[in-house]
Amino acid sequence: MNQFQYARPSKPQAAIRAVAKDANAQFIAGGTNLVDLMKRGVMTPQKLVDINRLPLNKIERQNNGLRLGALALNSAVADDKLVRERQPLLVQALNAGASAQLRNMATVGGNMLQRTRCPYFYDTTMPCNKRAPGTGCGALEGINRMHAIFGFSDKCIAVHPSDMSVALVALDATVLVSGPQGDRRIPFADFHRLPGDTPQKDTNLERGELITAVDIPDAPFTRHVSYYKVRERASYAFALVSAAAALELDGNTIKAARLALGGVAHKPWRLTAAEQVLVGKPATEATFRQAAEVAMQGAKAFKYNEYKLKLAPNTLVQALKTATAA
Amino acid sequence: MKPLQKQIGTGMNRVDGRLKVTGAATYAAEYELPGLVYAVLVGSTIAKGRLASLDTKAAERAPGVLAVVSHLNAPKAPGAKPAGKDPSQPQTVGNPLAVFTDDKIRFNDQPIAVVVADTLERARFAAGLVKAQYAQEAHQTNLEANRPQAFLPTQAKKNPKSPVADYQRGQVDAYKTGALKLEAEYVIPTEVHHPMELQAITAHWEAPDRLTLYDKTQGTMATRRDFAKQWGLPEENVKVVATFVGGAFGNALHSWPHESAAIIAAKVVNRPVKLMLTREQMFTMVGYRPHTWQKIGMSATADGKITAITHEATGQTSTYEEFTESTLGQTRMMYQAPNLTTRYRLVALDIGSPIWMRGPGEATGAFALESAMDEMAHLLNLDPLEFRLRNYTDQDPERNRPWSTKFLKECYQAGADRIGWSKRQLKPGMLRDGDWLVGYGMGVGTFGAHRGASKANAQLLPNGTVLLQSAVTDIGPGTGTAMTQIAADTLGLDPAKIRFEWGNSSFASAPTQGGSAIVNSVGPAVQEACLALKAKLRELAAAGNGAFAAARPEDVAFADGHLTLNGNPAARATYADLVKQAGGTAVAVDSKPGPDGQKYSMYSFSVHFAEVRVHPLTGEVRVSKLVSCADAGTIINEKTAGNQMKGGAVGGIGMALMEHAMIDDRFGRYVTKDLADYHVPVHADAPAVEVFFVNQPDPHVNALGTKGIGEIATIGVAPAIANAVFNATGKRVRELPITPDKLI
Amino acid sequence: MVFGTLSYPANPNRKPQRGKFGHAACHGRAQIRKLDRIGSSGDAVLPVPGRAFLLPTRLLFMNSEPEAPANHDDNRRTFLKQSSLLTALALVPGPVVSAAAAKLDERVAEAFEQVPVSLKVNGKKYKLNVEPRTTLLDLLRENLHLTGTKKGCDYGQCGACTVHVEGQRVNSCLSFAVMHDGKEITTIEGLSKGDDLHPMQEAFVKHDGFQCGYCTPGQIMSAVACVREGHAGSEAEIREYMSGNICRCGAYTNIVAAIQEVKNGGQKV
Repeated sequence: MNQFQYARPSKPQAAIRAVAKDANAQFIAGGTNLVDLMKRGVMTPQKLVDINRLPLNKIERQNNGLRLGALALNSAVADDKLVRERQPLLVQALNAGASAQLRNMATVGGNMLQRTRCPYFYDTTMPCNKRAPGTGCGALEGINRMHAIFGFSDKCIAVHPSDMSVALVALDATVLVSGPQGDRRIPFADFHRLPGDTPQKDTNLERGELITAVDIPDAPFTRHVSYYKVRERASYAFALVSAAAALELDGNTIKAARLALGGVAHKPWRLTAAEQVLVGKPATEATFRQAAEVAMQGAKAFKYNEYKLKLAPNTLVQALKTATAA
Repeated sequence: MKPLQKQIGTGMNRVDGRLKVTGAATYAAEYELPGLVYAVLVGSTIAKGRLASLDTKAAERAPGVLAVVSHLNAPKAPGAKPAGKDPSQPQTVGNPLAVFTDDKIRFNDQPIAVVVADTLERARFAAGLVKAQYAQEAHQTNLEANRPQAFLPTQAKKNPKSPVADYQRGQVDAYKTGALKLEAEYVIPTEVHHPMELQAITAHWEAPDRLTLYDKTQGTMATRRDFAKQWGLPEENVKVVATFVGGAFGNALHSWPHESAAIIAAKVVNRPVKLMLTREQMFTMVGYRPHTWQKIGMSATADGKITAITHEATGQTSTYEEFTESTLGQTRMMYQAPNLTTRYRLVALDIGSPIWMRGPGEATGAFALESAMDEMAHLLNLDPLEFRLRNYTDQDPERNRPWSTKFLKECYQAGADRIGWSKRQLKPGMLRDGDWLVGYGMGVGTFGAHRGASKANAQLLPNGTVLLQSAVTDIGPGTGTAMTQIAADTLGLDPAKIRFEWGNSSFASAPTQGGSAIVNSVGPAVQEACLALKAKLRELAAAGNGAFAAARPEDVAFADGHLTLNGNPAARATYADLVKQAGGTAVAVDSKPGPDGQKYSMYSFSVHFAEVRVHPLTGEVRVSKLVSCADAGTIINEKTAGNQMKGGAVGGIGMALMEHAMIDDRFGRYVTKDLADYHVPVHADAPAVEVFFVNQPDPHVNALGTKGIGEIATIGVAPAIANAVFNATGKRVRELPITPDKLI
Repeated sequence: MVFGTLSYPANPNRKPQRGKFGHAACHGRAQIRKLDRIGSSGDAVLPVPGRAFLLPTRLLFMNSEPEAPANHDDNRRTFLKQSSLLTALALVPGPVVSAAAAKLDERVAEAFEQVPVSLKVNGKKYKLNVEPRTTLLDLLRENLHLTGTKKGCDYGQCGACTVHVEGQRVNSCLSFAVMHDGKEITTIEGLSKGDDLHPMQEAFVKHDGFQCGYCTPGQIMSAVACVREGHAGSEAEIREYMSGNICRCGAYTNIVAAIQEVKNGGQKV
């Protein structure tokens, strides 16, 4: 690992200035992904701006919703009474991610900003447009078992690894950001981006912009929810495919639904069209199948991830079944 | 006085438990030596070719760097030869790959330089500054694509009786003419040992001709031999210390390039050098269970008697060593089959050499054999346990010799009872638990009850305690504890008064920890050393006490640190007093296997029963219950032995459900590089494993009656799970691991 | 009191270099100062080719005064600007400085790029100067010689490095030591009270919750936290919340039994 400078400002504005003015500077929060990437030479910031002590870790009621400070720990959010009462889907997603130790380090903002786990991104001797633009996509013709079936480009077929973000995109969250140009709000669905021709950019954040909080509006999805994650072992693994499902039921009739998939695209994959299929219909496996069919429109597989064309809809159906039964 | 409790057979706590739970146990990278510096390896980024140039200038100039060593400037170790120089003499396993002897690249991530610096951070940084240019050659890293080039191992060509030579009894490939037959191919991928401790070594030249290694090795004697030879030193000038070894499962069975590199680096900087591999390097340069293709043909009569089996296997090796393992051994001896053919072949690829991994060979072979047994039972519409019973062998059909002992039927019964085998339905897919399909399966394992020559030293100290020393390592099975128990019972002493020291090549020579052979081999040496001590005590007592002098040896009793005399309550001497008078007493024994190995076939046996749940929509598999039963002879310590069985079962879960190292053949480079890509079982994958031991001594292996546990704990687990998955779903997965994609 | 490589001789095998600083640069390892000795006039040996000279430590670490709170804002770099260093070097004989030449300053700056960190580890206070890139794990193992905390993967994928920071279990391999400035850290060495094992350590011995022992400190630190967090309510919950600690020997059944015993035993963890 290269040597770097270290700064620990005590005010958000100082942190923002420090990163905004220096193209080689980088925020560090929990460090659970950045440190890993620095050890392997995938990321080589010359300066780290430690934001862990900025006052951004509150979890509170705000404007008919919940506000999660960007530095709230994943474990703190998952164990928070308010969150457990109002957003159980988020709790399930958080607890499906990583390990208890990592959740004690990882923050809300950091979780959103974790990089892909594509092995070609991680190995500096292999081609990867995300790590080294212009070198090609190693996964396109390579071992692409873990890769995208939606929204990819010929430059990049990586997927976003976050579980938490899959729940947040389903829950209509909004990302609060402060930057050199002031504050702005980004709908969660617009926060992460598709790779297009610039896969090196994971999100729509500008240089120096700091996530300060995530707002989740109150919604009637406090009971019939499920985050169903399929992985190669029972815990502590990234998703092959995951599905977030939140239902408002009136008897057995679906009044409203929120759906998203993880492990299928460069961003958490919201399924608005499939949600519409569900509204007003009975909560039965047949209905869920219809929604899953709509959800899968436009999906395309590569050599080693064809299974996802079947696993993704099946996982969605299972999440809907579990949510209904909850 | 209350008689001392017998230790053998109890669940005595580990003698090193306290050290392990307090963090005080010291592993290879944890020795504090004055002037210690850090070494980091630089690996090649191609799989085959030559180093055209190596630019080390930037690395040499980096802060804290003491040396950058490569083939350009490495001191020549007199005994180090480039691997594979003479193709007519392929090296067999056991030869470390010499490093920095030439510019040839034989596998991806092969060490091409080592950087030494005063801190780990600086060594790592500088290692990234070494720039190599290559003259690249086309590489081959795909087993399937290269199977047409498979060859008979050289040792089999030279010796038709070699265990890896072609074997037949009855007619060749007789299954082909059978009325009821099956033919199926089975594949296991490359699996990697991945002990939790990264391979590490601290190398210290205490003088120009005296080398001390704190090393992760399963055999201190073997490692000493290797590096004494490499450096042209008398063996006594090399000391290897491996008191604690953080797991190995086979990958420290022989020496590796990184050890050579650390020793060279220490020579160059003339300071102790510590080198710990990264998790990426654990894939590339310290061995793995080789990717293996197998095919089984089997025929049977309608009433469930096997008439013929043909079992073929093609495994992967490197271009510079011929690695072989006993993939087909179990097939030759497990079931009655009048016609039996086995063929073993190798494919040499541009990948580092494999090395035996827990249940070596047999675990691979058992996946095919025991899956095929299940397939045949299904074909016959027979219960798979009943099918195995109908083909049970009461003597070894391979060598036509009696078994030394075999209690496999007892294991079958115990396991079937404990798993609830009666719930199993003959037809797959019949049982459900909520959304989940439920199934039951079994798999049998066996491994030779090997015993090697072993020495042991024992001393009675003036305070009445006993010190035993052996070069043997304890990589986790609890060797130190078992030896303490054996000594306690033999000497009639409280185990607290016995100190067994291990893991140092300066101690009495012992075999390398592996092949489930350590209690079989070192156990009798310890026992004999203690018997010799008793003889000494008897002599001392006789010399100093009239009653003992006149006594017949068989009338002298040893208990709780005293000698007494049958029929003479007044005669009593304490060990401590006798030893004090003599000023200490020491014995050294050399224990060798007896002749029974020529008369009997000696094996440990196991059977594993699995209950699995399979999600029909997502293809997830959960092992909800595992029962492992073993005929492993005498159980010295039920707690540590039980732990071994449970751990082997967990290893089998990994093999069955998740372990799979993958190479991108375009680059000849692993894409599974760490423990997030290469999954091993976590807590949530492991059910409470239930263990049953027959615990009947085998008098032919040694006087203790032990047969060995470590391998049979894993062998047969993966097929038990695969068979249970079939029973749950009707889907037969013949290529491991059974990941969700294969079941939806 | 100064530990580390400070007093080691430069590599005797190495020929004097072309006007470069010695390769065994003087502040390779973190310098460990016990709190009570900070501010004393310990001298640092700065090896250079061919000769060694002494440079007063305080010149190199002017802002690591004991009472001053560590300030990590940008001024740290300012302090270490080459001008300051060259000022410091001006105290040494002229030929050495001139030999240092143009390229030297950059390297020296790098060598001195250390930041002060205060940590309380197992109840003991440490005032250290560390490279920012030193992870908490490497600091514990290589500098403080607390080797009970293990390196099993270095990427947060195995849990062998689990320690408690402010009572919370974390992977010490995935954070830089400097990020924990002012924090209280407990490692396996700090769990037992003198000769009395912690109930979890006792339970691991009794239930044989290990084989090779390498993952064990991490398992135990994690297990203690698991019980304290209230995540040891059932076998299934223990398995899930302990899944961040891999045991390749596969002693899981016994580890879960040990945790259950402690949880149900009612002892204070």
